[in-house]
Amino acid sequence: MRHLIPLNQKADRVVAAVETDKMDEVRAMQTVVAGCASTLDPGWEVDPFGGVAALCQPMEADLYGCSDPCWWPAQVPDTMNSYKDWNDGADNAGKDWRSLGTVFPSDSET
Amino acid sequence: MRTLLAAATAAFCLGLTGLPAMARDLIVTVAKPDRLYVIDAEARSVETDCKLDFNLMPGVIVMSPDNSIAYILGNRWEDVFGIDLATCETVFSAHQSEGDIRRKTIASLAVSKDGKELYTVRNPVRLLADRYEVMEPEFAVYDTSAGLDAQPARTFPSPRRITVMATGKNGEVYAAGHDVYAFDPKTGERTVKIANANWDRPTYSPPDVLAFWPIGTQADEFLLLYSAAKFTDETMSEIADFVWGYQSIDLTTGESTIQDFASLEVIMFSAVRDPNDTSKLYGVYTQLSKHDVTKKELIKRVDLPHTYYCINISSDGKEIYVGGTNDDIGIYDAESLERIGEILLPSGGDMAAGTMHVISTGS
Repeated sequence: MRHLIPLNQKADRVVAAVETDKMDEVRAMQTVVAGCASTLDPGWEVDPFGGVAALCQPMEADLYGCSDPCWWPAQVPDTMNSYKDWNDGADNAGKDWRSLGTVFPSDSET
Repeated sequence: MRTLLAAATAAFCLGLTGLPAMARDLIVTVAKPDRLYVIDAEARSVETDCKLDFNLMPGVIVMSPDNSIAYILGNRWEDVFGIDLATCETVFSAHQSEGDIRRKTIASLAVSKDGKELYTVRNPVRLLADRYEVMEPEFAVYDTSAGLDAQPARTFPSPRRITVMATGKNGEVYAAGHDVYAFDPKTGERTVKIANANWDRPTYSPPDVLAFWPIGTQADEFLLLYSAAKFTDETMSEIADFVWGYQSIDLTTGESTIQDFASLEVIMFSAVRDPNDTSKLYGVYTQLSKHDVTKKELIKRVDLPHTYYCINISSDGKEIYVGGTNDDIGIYDAESLERIGEILLPSGGDMAAGTMHVISTGS
């Protein structure tokens, strides 16, 4: 750890866990549905076997089931909190995906 | 008058009037943008179409013990609404966020066996001007007779990372987290019912449990699948297999079981067991699989037209229903796993991660 410097509070706590021999209590959260920004699943890119055959078929069958719980916060807007209306009027992902757009922070948020 | 007539018709159709009616299965599910459907499973037709006045995301549903009220976790994981299936009226609501505190519930919803109490696990965050303050999660108990804008009657500390829950006949509330816990909703006391992250299996990795669909009610159990890596020895240097297992709590006796039943060959998102033969387990994702968990044998597996998240089974064990994801419910023969029917939801909206229950009504 000599060459690594913690940059945020969470990293500080990991360092503290190492120093107090409590790393067994630190768990990676990548496979837990824990809400936005707590997970960073690989999403549509790769499945648990390292390929793509076991991803949901087609991807549109998976879109709202996974974006509703913010499973993939990096890939789609956060409809739980920040961009609640992102998919309004596009109730069927398979038919309506063309109307799903990109989102940007408003002037008041920048 | 038209409304009253429609409500009376719905009540009769649902077998909720107290009049003798043929026993039959109804499928209860939700679809975007705002629909709660009650479907006659045998007739393959929508019987009741409730238009909801709230955002139904994520659409986690638990039923009251008499199957008259569907409790839905909605408004983007924050609020609970009780919908009377006979009238489509909202008879209960609990808005969990208040002031600068936002409370999300990650699928943690259950109703007591007497129908008098509803349970959630709430994850509060205080929204400050410059940061979020993560607060301690709460196990909340609501009185279901509290009507609209109900407040918790009691709250107790809860572990983090709680997802689905179920209630046993003994009054305990079972909650899936890093371990499967049993809460006493009167005192808040908590025990580990089934060890998961802390299981004593020195040749296994910790299990991966996707616990999102509260659907074990047909076989009267709280059933979860797990997958794990199994190593050749305790040094965990060489993987012997990736396995599927199931863990179950009998909701009448409180007995728990955990055991492997197959190698991990395909993904399964949810599973049910045949209420009349619990050695038969059906799991769904992009394939529909039928396992014998006693013999640890795969009986049959078929490809599906698309991925489905949520599975359920008829009361006689003869039909399998697959739903969630898109706007169609696929119906499969439990013996042959042939597709024998489907139901298209009228709204055309996705079920997404919504729950699909099968309830038996009439006598």
